[in-house]
Amino acid sequence: MPKKQSFAEAFEELETITEWFETQNVDLDEGVKKFERGLELAKFLKEKLADVENTVMTLKKKFTEI
Amino acid sequence: MNTPAIISVSDYLGLVNHALRTIPHEGMVIEGEVVEFKVSQGKWVNFDLKDERAEAKISCFMTVFALNVPVQSGMRVQVTGTSKVFERFGKFTLNVTAITLVGEGALQKAYLALKEQLRSEGMFESSRKRNIPRFPERIGLITSSEAAAYGDFLRILQNRWGGVRVIHAPVTVQGKDAVQEILGAFTQLNALPLENRPEVIVLTRGGGSLEDLHAFNSEAVVRAVFQSAIPVVVGVGHERDESLCDFVADVRASTPSNAAERVVPDRREIDVHLAVSVDRLADRIDDEIQEKSRAIDRAIRAVDAFLERCSRMVSECERVLKSVDPREVLKRGYALVRSRGKILHSSRAVAPGDHVQIQLGDGTLNAQVAFNAVQEALL
Repeated sequence: MPKKQSFAEAFEELETITEWFETQNVDLDEGVKKFERGLELAKFLKEKLADVENTVMTLKKKFTEI
Repeated sequence: MNTPAIISVSDYLGLVNHALRTIPHEGMVIEGEVVEFKVSQGKWVNFDLKDERAEAKISCFMTVFALNVPVQSGMRVQVTGTSKVFERFGKFTLNVTAITLVGEGALQKAYLALKEQLRSEGMFESSRKRNIPRFPERIGLITSSEAAAYGDFLRILQNRWGGVRVIHAPVTVQGKDAVQEILGAFTQLNALPLENRPEVIVLTRGGGSLEDLHAFNSEAVVRAVFQSAIPVVVGVGHERDESLCDFVADVRASTPSNAAERVVPDRREIDVHLAVSVDRLADRIDDEIQEKSRAIDRAIRAVDAFLERCSRMVSECERVLKSVDPREVLKRGYALVRSRGKILHSSRAVAPGDHVQIQLGDGTLNAQVAFNAVQEALL
């Protein structure tokens, strides 16, 4: 799993895999590979979901000049 | 008798204008009703400011640039400015530097006029509304740190989703600085380096009167929402409140809490979704394995049947072959005679003294031909 993958990217990849399974005649070898990848993604996403804290960064006030 | 001083018209007007400049313009606003409102060449604004009680009026002049609220004839306004008699026209004019609307009626009228204008420019078209990312990692938040809206937004955000970086641009949401601060916040957020730039901006505040919501109805803020390169979610007030920013927003939320709901998914729903996805994948793989194993069973059965068929064919051949096996014939008393390895078909093929092999049912004799005789009756 590439470290930099974001939640959105991983989620999208999982959706693509799910879709592949639903629209293709599944080749078992490829299917098993994709299934394993799907499990890996789901695990990663679940871990991310447990990432509970949001952080707040406050910018300094700045006025726009007209 | 002193001779009166003779001065020119323009010198005299100079004196008048000098005297007019002594009228303080700081700390004083003139309130009246706008009549004969006109804009010329898209730059210059002229109107008369009329007194309610007397038939008194002042000619007012200002630039479109200084006009930051939509003014129409019939509105009550307060203006500040300096007065002057223009030498060229000999006309007393108030040079307006600031104008504000007075009363809910005027504000409401201005609000509707601006709404109509912005609508006619296509700023509220649904076709221009952009999608916000489903799982934003960075959210820009434009609101006041002191407002309940700030706490509500962050609380609901935290309840629903985690790991988000909120980039908060603190602004005052009402009062004279609100517009400038909100504009500044949009500029600031849009100018952040790509890796820090929010993927969506939330502009929010609690509810209030039309006057309280002034900044959210200001043309400049509406245009800033429209022009923001980052999609904008606007959540103002309570359910019943509306502001012009709502109409121009990419996503309109009803309240600050609702803005949080619109901007991130609920982790519980995603959790369920993930579980369902994994189950579906497992089911599909399982189905596939079942199907393949059924196919393998079918193949095995087909091969079995084929082998069975073959074995039957072999047995049949064996039976046929057995029935024609010459050894069986030899066992009944017949013999095969070979000369030089070849089976003899004729007695004439050998001469007396030739060696022949006679194969019987149980063995072979090596023999020598004594004489030839034409075959008579065999038995």
